[in-house]
Amino acid sequence: MSEPRVRRRFAPGTTIEDLKEYMGPFVDRLGYKFNTESWFVDDVLTSELEILEQTGDVYCPCRVRTGDPKEDVKIICPCIPFHRDEFAAIKKCWCGLFVLKEVEDGSELFGVIEEPSGEVEVPVFRVEDLPPGQIRHVKVGKADIAVARVGDEFFALSNVCRHAFAPLADGFLDGYHVMCPWHGWRYDVRDGTTDHPDADVRTYPVTVREGHVFVTVRIRG
Amino acid sequence: MHKVFVYALSTCPYCRAARAYLDENGVEYDVVEVDKLEGEEYKAAVDEVRRISGGTAFPVIVIDDDSVIVGFNKKRIKEELGL
Ligand code: SF4
Ligand code: FES
Repeated sequence: MSEPRVRRRFAPGTTIEDLKEYMGPFVDRLGYKFNTESWFVDDVLTSELEILEQTGDVYCPCRVRTGDPKEDVKIICPCIPFHRDEFAAIKKCWCGLFVLKEVEDGSELFGVIEEPSGEVEVPVFRVEDLPPGQIRHVKVGKADIAVARVGDEFFALSNVCRHAFAPLADGFLDGYHVMCPWHGWRYDVRDGTTDHPDADVRTYPVTVREGHVFVTVRIRG
Repeated sequence: MHKVFVYALSTCPYCRAARAYLDENGVEYDVVEVDKLEGEEYKAAVDEVRRISGGTAFPVIVIDDDSVIVGFNKKRIKEELGL
């Protein structure tokens, strides 16, 4: 008799330290760190290990699985990429396991600020993660955004070409212009303009601080 | 006396914190740990949480069958219960 095959993301015997090692470098790229309250981190990760035993993956301890796989993938830890805008607004992930790097005292964020709205600066990656002359796609909330780097300047514009909806981040950067990968329409990354009539794309403000690139978006509300 | 109902998860730190806070303040409440339910009951509870809170985040605290607080929002709990 063979053992029943359980699809499992982490090997049996996974510890809190293993999870920290696995998640730490990734959330660092996203502009987050573990909560400053280490007892709280251990508490949340202990819960995640229990859930791992039951379900085979590290689902969020603060949210419930609906049984719909499409929705449930959005609550596998770390889930920050699915909720970048909301989490940036409340400066932490829902559970508070992770906080924005700028947060000095994570215990001040216990509890939850409801339904953030307005403008929020969302960290997307570190400066060195995008070399000059490159452009890359990030999803922020519902928006598909292309972030381009020209020299040491960063620009953010809609990722969706107005011709036939190609992803502009797959295109080619030529000075301040991105050429669409499919049929070569050119957009100025500084203001989203193109020579084609009524086809400009929207742009987003970008800031750089503490080695991170932030894109400002508006969240519902 | 307010009627207080808490949808919680056994794994969620804010659910524990919220319940501890209610306990400390002598508030009586009913609670269901959704992740401990099974089958139809689980589904029904998840659907109910989504209906009243618009999401799947916990805890969800319902006061007097009327106002819904998502998360451990101490300030709102305080206000609504007059603590
Ligand atoms: S809210 Fe935090 S703890 Fe929960 S899955 Fe997302 S990143 Fe992990
Ligand atoms: S889709 Fe962009 S040029 Fe055609």
